[in-house]
Amino acid sequence: MEKILLRNIDAPDSHTLAGHRSRGGYRALEKVLREMTPEKLIDEVKASGLRGRGGAGFPTGMKWGFVPKDNPKPKYVVCNADESEPGTFKDRLLIEKDPHAIVEGTIIAAYAIRSHTAFIYIRGEMFYGAQVLERAIDEAAAAGYLGKNILGSGYDIDLILHRGAGAYICGEETGLLSSLEGGKGWPKLKPPFPATHGLFGSPTVVNNVETLAALPWIIEQGAARYAAIGTEKSKGTKLFSVSGHIKKPGVYEVDMGYPFKKFLEEDCGGVANGRKLKGVIPGGASMPVLRAEELDGITMDYESFQAAGTLLGSGGVIVMDESTCMVRAAWNIARFFAHESCGQCSPCREGCHWMEKIFNRIEHGAGRAGDLEMILSISGNIGGNTICPFGDAASWPAAAFIKKFRSEFDEHIAAGKCTIH
Amino acid sequence: MDPVKITLDGKEITTEKGKTVIQAAADAGIDIPHYCYHPKLTIAGNCRMCLVEIEKMPKLQIACNTQATEGMAVKTQSPKVLEARRAVMEFLLINHPLDCPICDQAGECWLQDYYMKHDLTPSRFDERKEHERKREIFGPYVVFDGERCIKCTRCVRFFQEVTHTDELTVVNRGDHSTIALFPGQTLDNPLSVNVVDICPVGALTDRDFRFKVRVWYLKKTPSICPGCSTGCNISVETYQNRIARFKPRVNEAVNSHWLCDEGRYVFHSLTEGERLTSPMIRQEGGLVPVDWDTALQAVAAGLAANAPAAAILSGRSTNEEAFLFGRMMKKISPEAKQEVFYRERELTEVEKVLMSPDRSPNFRGARHMGVGSEAGVEPLLQAIIEGRLRSAYIVGEDLVSLSEDGENLKSALGKLSFLVVQDIRMTPTAALAHVVLPATHFGEKAGTYTNRRGRVQKLEAAIVPPAGALQDWEIFSRLLGESYAAPEEIFAVAAREVPAYAGLDYEKIGALGADLEAQKQ
Repeated sequence: MEKILLRNIDAPDSHTLAGHRSRGGYRALEKVLREMTPEKLIDEVKASGLRGRGGAGFPTGMKWGFVPKDNPKPKYVVCNADESEPGTFKDRLLIEKDPHAIVEGTIIAAYAIRSHTAFIYIRGEMFYGAQVLERAIDEAAAAGYLGKNILGSGYDIDLILHRGAGAYICGEETGLLSSLEGGKGWPKLKPPFPATHGLFGSPTVVNNVETLAALPWIIEQGAARYAAIGTEKSKGTKLFSVSGHIKKPGVYEVDMGYPFKKFLEEDCGGVANGRKLKGVIPGGASMPVLRAEELDGITMDYESFQAAGTLLGSGGVIVMDESTCMVRAAWNIARFFAHESCGQCSPCREGCHWMEKIFNRIEHGAGRAGDLEMILSISGNIGGNTICPFGDAASWPAAAFIKKFRSEFDEHIAAGKCTIH
Repeated sequence: MDPVKITLDGKEITTEKGKTVIQAAADAGIDIPHYCYHPKLTIAGNCRMCLVEIEKMPKLQIACNTQATEGMAVKTQSPKVLEARRAVMEFLLINHPLDCPICDQAGECWLQDYYMKHDLTPSRFDERKEHERKREIFGPYVVFDGERCIKCTRCVRFFQEVTHTDELTVVNRGDHSTIALFPGQTLDNPLSVNVVDICPVGALTDRDFRFKVRVWYLKKTPSICPGCSTGCNISVETYQNRIARFKPRVNEAVNSHWLCDEGRYVFHSLTEGERLTSPMIRQEGGLVPVDWDTALQAVAAGLAANAPAAAILSGRSTNEEAFLFGRMMKKISPEAKQEVFYRERELTEVEKVLMSPDRSPNFRGARHMGVGSEAGVEPLLQAIIEGRLRSAYIVGEDLVSLSEDGENLKSALGKLSFLVVQDIRMTPTAALAHVVLPATHFGEKAGTYTNRRGRVQKLEAAIVPPAGALQDWEIFSRLLGESYAAPEEIFAVAAREVPAYAGLDYEKIGALGADLEAQKQ
């Protein structure tokens, strides 16, 4: 498998401009400015089949195409570096090890929609990453890749790094925009969509770090080469952050369509400590969990995970072996979402905490008959009825844990205590 | 206006392009339940109560943020919608304290009403409720209960969008979210109590009204605010013949949904205190009660014998009263200088949202009815102070207390040969009178006010005046020697004599008033 996103990270100077340029960095940007109109650039990215790597998997070129050309307002590109999904740490690696790929990708995206101001919104806790990015931006500006008339092309672009204050919801694109505007990180109502009414009410594209970092390679090597990798609907490579009871945790770059079981057993070395695999969350804590026996035949792409009843999400693979108490795991996730619910809309604000309280009771020996039906009902009443996808993110794992590991929950309730620990 | 046809629960309705489903439904008389949506505020979409099913859309959509488009088929009563509504009700109530017995909102609470209509199932919530701040004083008139709050943010948006004073925000996250004042702020802007009206639950209550009356005992009388000449439409809400509160009445031509704090509480100063219950005449040793015939004969004789007279009518007198007063004075004291009380003051930017710079709600109508001149009341007061007049008839204004030159005015009034004061209380001005006539306040009378912009609107009597007092129009009509059954009759006569009012009658004025200019066209 050819490395696209992680091609530079092993070099000791991968985070410097000199190191980046020595491996062909900013050649894609030069090519774009020299040879491509924004329309052609958008077509190229469309042809590559690149889909958003933040979790939703929306085709990137199509997203850019929604930005109206005749809107008199300024246009913005925002790089979403608010990586907060539990079990996900792939953007952080790119930020710390290959910041110039992100800077270059962001400039390319800005050029595609004729934006002259771009932002990188980075999660507040990633202080080191912010320092690395800040340095990279300064280097790029000094070298003439940012600012007025970059590389003599007549195109102006400013790039501003903004640190968040540590709220999961600010990774949701409209919550991010509210936060970037200086407000409370509350998601906005859609419609209108950011493509027409985004940052400060202006046309805006929000792209994930991994999406933007893939752009330089796609431009340089050509969309066709990128599209040749992967499956029919999932093109190119994808980063997976693997954590939990696994021998070799870490960030892996995988061709889309790679067999999931093989990936876990061979690439990641299999379950640690010789224990048996119990379950896997494939796409970050908000995605439905899979039982060990469900992994057969799944390939690592959008379609296959969806067919298996879960989603690729952010690619945060959380591996749980037989020693894991699934009630405790479900409670832990529910607690996270109860804590991170922004509180704006009724179902999520009230429902997430309600579910957390019930999971908590079950795990601590006070479960009652009917509790599980209650959680399923609450989960169903949140999902799909909220302002932003957080409601789904909080309700899916709760329901999935109960459906997939029902007997373990029943045992907890019947025994009046945790039956695993 | 581009017409758009949509289907609402199988019924085809025509609306306009740009209208949302909730507006289109409301126009068609279908109320889609909602908390955060308010027609005068931006769309927040947070309560999720207005979720409806729209054909070809996989998820339920909020009616407040969905624009009606041609051919759209909306279901507001499908099983999926009903269940979503029930679920939202359940979510809103799980942490709610359910303290309806001690909550002032009970009886006009949207949680109560919607629970009955859209939920009506026992609570499934068996966990510990979250607690929040109770009885937090937000300002002079508004108190906050964080546990009853449903975070619809109507109050936050009101101060952002209507007053632009931005005192409130939402702090914290998840089920700890709560409305709070920004540090160092007090909720004391001139329109602050409107958030009590738009708060759909008992989170924001009126400190002046709370714990006084259960709202279901209130009698509601549509009327006009007597605070200034904006003429805000109000509901005068009374209990046991006392005014308990004012609430704004929606009138897009005047006050929209709002009422200022000063107007809202003006009834205290205008109605409270010990009432006069008998006419009185000054004899040696002071004012002594007499019967009405004696008092009115004394007025007519005293004014006729002591020209020139000043006739000063309250800015709160109705058109009907002004019409009779002007004619009565002309008859009894033809040389009398008549003025209606009117005085301006500076308004702040926030006050200008609603308020007019005066406290004379009917100064314009009184002038239409022939009382007063362009010169205004000040030169007339000066003439009294300078001793150029021999008598005065003062209606409904305590000029001694209102005047900056109160001491001089008091001594000048005391030197008049004859002074009649018609009022509801023994004011410092009335105490100087030779004849005192007990009358009524705005809450006890029917009639019309013409506001600053020339809109004629109706007052209705909300409570009954004390025995012994007479309606002001009745006093004037008896002095004039004419007889009327009710103010409506007086208005009919005035409408024939005052050209601007030609063709108007109480029926045409209706509940929301009529513009004079529009009548002329």
